[in-house]
Amino acid sequence: MKRYFIASTLMLLGVLCNNAFAKVSVFACEPEWEALAQEIGGGNIKVFTATHAKQDPHHIRARPSFVSKIRRADLVICSGAGLEAGWLPVLMQKASARVQPGTDGYLMASDFVKILEIPNAVDRSMGDIHPEGNPHVHLNPHNILLVGQELLQRLNRIDAANAEFYNERFQNFSSRWQQAIVGWEKDAVPLKEQPVIVHHKSFIYLISWLNLKLVGSLEPRPGIPPTASHLESLLLKVKQGNPVNVIMRASYESAEASEWLSGQTGVPAVMMPYTVGGDNESTDLFSLFDRSISLLIQNTSGNK
Amino acid sequence: MGSIFRPVVILLSVIFASQLPIIAKADGHAEIEALRDEIKSLRSVYENRISELESKIGKIQGPSAISGASVQTPATAKRSVKGNASNPSIGMVLNGRFNQYTVDGEAEVAGFALGHEGERKGAGFAVDHTELNFSSNIDDKFYGSSTFAIAEHDGATEVELEEAYIQTLPGFMGDGVTLKMGRAFWTLGYLNEHHSHADDFSDRPLPYRAILDGGYNDDGVEISYVLPTDFYTEIGMGLFRGNDIPFGGPDGKGHGSRSMFARFGGDLGANHSWRMGVYKLTGESVSGRKAGHGNVVTFIGDTDVQILDLRYTYAPTGNAREKEIIVQHETFWREENGTYEDTEDTPGAGAVAVNWDRDKVGSYTQLVYKFNPQWRVGLRYSELIPPPAPAALSGSHIDGGGFTPEMTSTMVDWTNSEFSRVRLQFNDAQLAAGQNDSQFLLQYIMSIGAHGAHKY
Repeated sequence: MKRYFIASTLMLLGVLCNNAFAKVSVFACEPEWEALAQEIGGGNIKVFTATHAKQDPHHIRARPSFVSKIRRADLVICSGAGLEAGWLPVLMQKASARVQPGTDGYLMASDFVKILEIPNAVDRSMGDIHPEGNPHVHLNPHNILLVGQELLQRLNRIDAANAEFYNERFQNFSSRWQQAIVGWEKDAVPLKEQPVIVHHKSFIYLISWLNLKLVGSLEPRPGIPPTASHLESLLLKVKQGNPVNVIMRASYESAEASEWLSGQTGVPAVMMPYTVGGDNESTDLFSLFDRSISLLIQNTSGNK
Repeated sequence: MGSIFRPVVILLSVIFASQLPIIAKADGHAEIEALRDEIKSLRSVYENRISELESKIGKIQGPSAISGASVQTPATAKRSVKGNASNPSIGMVLNGRFNQYTVDGEAEVAGFALGHEGERKGAGFAVDHTELNFSSNIDDKFYGSSTFAIAEHDGATEVELEEAYIQTLPGFMGDGVTLKMGRAFWTLGYLNEHHSHADDFSDRPLPYRAILDGGYNDDGVEISYVLPTDFYTEIGMGLFRGNDIPFGGPDGKGHGSRSMFARFGGDLGANHSWRMGVYKLTGESVSGRKAGHGNVVTFIGDTDVQILDLRYTYAPTGNAREKEIIVQHETFWREENGTYEDTEDTPGAGAVAVNWDRDKVGSYTQLVYKFNPQWRVGLRYSELIPPPAPAALSGSHIDGGGFTPEMTSTMVDWTNSEFSRVRLQFNDAQLAAGQNDSQFLLQYIMSIGAHGAHKY
């Protein structure tokens, strides 16, 4: 009987604890969504980010701490499209009913933007291909705004008392963001049709937004680390009439392969921030795109 | 199938068209004549097309019969593949091995009578457990999962029901509360909840083999509660039939065994994570737990198992994909109070039940280092400390003769993708007096279809 008493006391305590939190508790799978939530939610939300920019978002191990965070979350915001398939489902089993799929508390960014690279056929021999399409949607700033709009509506429903606060912050963010997009797109004009090689196809949305030309990937197949033979064939491709102006890799990807190809071809290998916190300069969403574009311009100037 | 389907449609419309004039005639309109002419010309066009198609079919059927191999997918066909949101996830684990040992026959573990799953795997080439898993949300309140293993024991192929459980979905029982019923690898230590194909070594550590017979998957019910604390805290309890080792022979009255557990975990900075837990499993073997190969001993009485587990993960570069260190430790304390009977010594009626009230301890510690996205090395030490056996049981499986079984394992494995892994392991096993067993294990573990979620 004593045991039941303890359990029920703890449960009651749990209910009290949850109500005691005035702030909306947000569980962000990746840093870019944490940054977006901060822009809109400001001081009225409390965000926990499961991963940081040095971690490969495809290979995250569910940690015990994630369970306690997601259990108390009012909103889960992630990229979706299968990016978190290896660790989010096991957490969702312990998460609260407020954040289950189909509720206001479950926001998958890829559900609200146009998804690129949806494969017609999927087979595991093709590597780690997401049947849902490419999930790295945040590298097109227009997508950020679309997801931001949805996030605003969710916050308004979850925390209706502060709707005005969120609306104001979103309007402010939205106008600054749209202005920034105009600036980026102007700056990026010389980047048009610049041929690039990427480590993994995590830059597809950036490439399609800036009209870069994708020549190849260092990975032989998505998710399979670069091999010597694949790099050789890529080198041959570059030397045989497919010039490349920059080799891009994300902050979490190993430098080895891109540096090797860079050494062989003289093409600069660039570590892109990929997400907020990817390098010292990229501290929020604005500086993430500022930095990404200036890195590309620096490394391709003189090549046009 | 499209090329066969199309002529059928055309044929049907022609038949329909040929019937039309008869119906129309009744009206006797002049326009009908014009329509009839139109139909006639249409019919001749269709008939030409039909014969053309029929010859095409003939050509297709000629060499390749009715295989339908040459059916073309229209260029505009779009295939949309989504997660198996409304269909059960189906997955299969293929597990094959090649084992070589320096000690022939059945290797014993001093002081312990082993069950089927705890025994040393057979020598030579062998297919280990082939697991088939189905799982899905059942409706808005329940989730269900079942795992069948096809395995060979003593030359006979058996289908084992490893797991078949239902579990409540969040929201049904209140935040953080989960109720699980059926048969499952219950919450007990670190490895017990995991299927052995997810282990970091080719064989389970000694305490799992000797005390839980590989793993505890009894029939029963378990309730768990994740506390709303800032670091991970989960408590729970379970009631079980008491039919799986360390118990056996339940009488079906109420429950045969029960468990309690508490688990904690958290992060130390961005790249370190830890988890620890304490577990207690208590129960009764009513009509007796039988174990031991060819030399069966039967235990009747109470068994109490307590487990402490610790796990620590560290990503030195921050990116666990590139480099990762995992340290894991578990200690088992087992207390038995009842009678042991050496069934082989005196077969039939004359078997003597000997009073037994003893403690046993077992533990293992392992270190796994991923030094490259696809390569890992590991080191594990496990040992058992059996108690001395009374004279009446000397010579039986549970007479350890004062020997402390221990095993040191080293492994290296290559993980091509999250679906395939090949492992080489070497064990230096000293499990009984005079048995110096050098074990060489080569194993592959591959999975097809849905991949079970990775546990934390």
